[in-house]
Amino acid sequence: MSRALAFLIVALAAVPALAAEEGGSASPIPGIKEGIAPMVTALVVFAVVLAVLSKTAWPKISKGLDERAEKIKDEIAAAEAARKQAKDALDQYERSLADARAEAQRMLEKTKAEQQALANDLRAKADAELSALKDRARKDIEAAKRDALAEIYAAAADLSTSIASKILRREVTPRDQQRLVEESLAELNSARN
Amino acid sequence: MTLTTLVLAANPVEHVINHKFIVSDGWWLWSGHVGNLLLSGLIMLLAFPYLASKIATGHESLGHERYVARGKLAHMLEVICIYLRDNTIKPMLGHRTNAFLPYLWTLFFFILINNLLGLIPIGDLIHLVVPSWKASHSLPFGGTATQNLFVTGILALISALVINIAGVRELGLGGYAKHLTAGTPPYLWALMIPIEVMGTLIKPVALALRLFANMTAGHILLATLLMFAVQGLDMLVGKSPLIGAPVTIVSVAGAIAITFLELFVAFLQAFVFMFLTTVFIAQLSHHDEEHGHGHEHAHAH
Repeated sequence: MSRALAFLIVALAAVPALAAEEGGSASPIPGIKEGIAPMVTALVVFAVVLAVLSKTAWPKISKGLDERAEKIKDEIAAAEAARKQAKDALDQYERSLADARAEAQRMLEKTKAEQQALANDLRAKADAELSALKDRARKDIEAAKRDALAEIYAAAADLSTSIASKILRREVTPRDQQRLVEESLAELNSARN
Repeated sequence: MTLTTLVLAANPVEHVINHKFIVSDGWWLWSGHVGNLLLSGLIMLLAFPYLASKIATGHESLGHERYVARGKLAHMLEVICIYLRDNTIKPMLGHRTNAFLPYLWTLFFFILINNLLGLIPIGDLIHLVVPSWKASHSLPFGGTATQNLFVTGILALISALVINIAGVRELGLGGYAKHLTAGTPPYLWALMIPIEVMGTLIKPVALALRLFANMTAGHILLATLLMFAVQGLDMLVGKSPLIGAPVTIVSVAGAIAITFLELFVAFLQAFVFMFLTTVFIAQLSHHDEEHGHGHEHAHAH
């Protein structure tokens, strides 16, 4: 491989036999006596530059580029993690908010139901008291009526008795009878009063 | 003194080729290309470690800013390094990227800086300052080192060694030999193995010739246009201004346009050299034994 290239270089160098007397060849392809020094210089300079830069410049640049790429990758990962965390927190917050709302609703309904029950209870109690009161009143009225009727019966019996005794004591004329009835009625009236 | 003397001889190739500086017994010990190669090495050795420290992660006290490259030049270097690494080398070499990255980065920037140094008329400036060197056609610096076939040849040779040694290390000797059969049945081996061996040799030769030809052609064209411009200017101030004026204007405009093209080509050819080296390394791996040979034809241009 390298021998072939050397052959080529020598062959090409042999072509321009136009080495100028003034020191410059007229061909753009230099002869071997002109070309060896640039070739060796190129080899040495390239080797030195490669060796030195491989120690000083290239690793620094590679490392700098890698570190930055790594940094960017890390930052993106961190940003994504933070976003996920925020989203999780938001989800949780919304969930607990919904829970609290449901809890409040439930409490409200419970309170309402309790109030309703209390009101129903109170009303039932009031009704019961009222009807008890009514019953008692009715009983009182009935008792009073019974007393009154009993008194009326007693008074009527007394009156009948006195009417009968008066009839027995004397002859009764139609005029007497009229007077008797009127007297009895008057007595009855006064008895009632 | 006419303006023509500002430009070298009538041959535009004169502008492009290497110029001797120290010659001993016919051997050129120091020439413009040698000077430019040393200059490019010096630039890389001084600038790159400094810029790398600007790209590296900074001190904690800088906060998030420490991950940002500091300075415009550092940004430029960083953008190129990232592009080469993440968009060009990594897709082809995968987990082997870091092993080859220093070589491929160095290769790209070494060629690029030499291409760009070739676009700076260092030689002409030196000749303006030291006319005696101009008279003796000598230059300590100048020219385009990547236009020298010996320079592109040695770079291609290094790439060939890297490609094939990496191939043997990746596949093992047996796997490397098997790769030469291109996966064909044994009765085709008599045909395939010579073709593959030739391919192995032609790849680096093509690398060397491509860079050499691109750098040479553009510079010759540029030199020719500038020569026309100077000759046109000569006519303009001399006998025939009616011919001189349009020639000068068209030539200068063309030279400016070609200079921009050359600037692009300087980057492109540095990239192509490095890119194809990467492609050839990637071909000699387990991963694309099946379709590696298709790539080769697609990319070689």
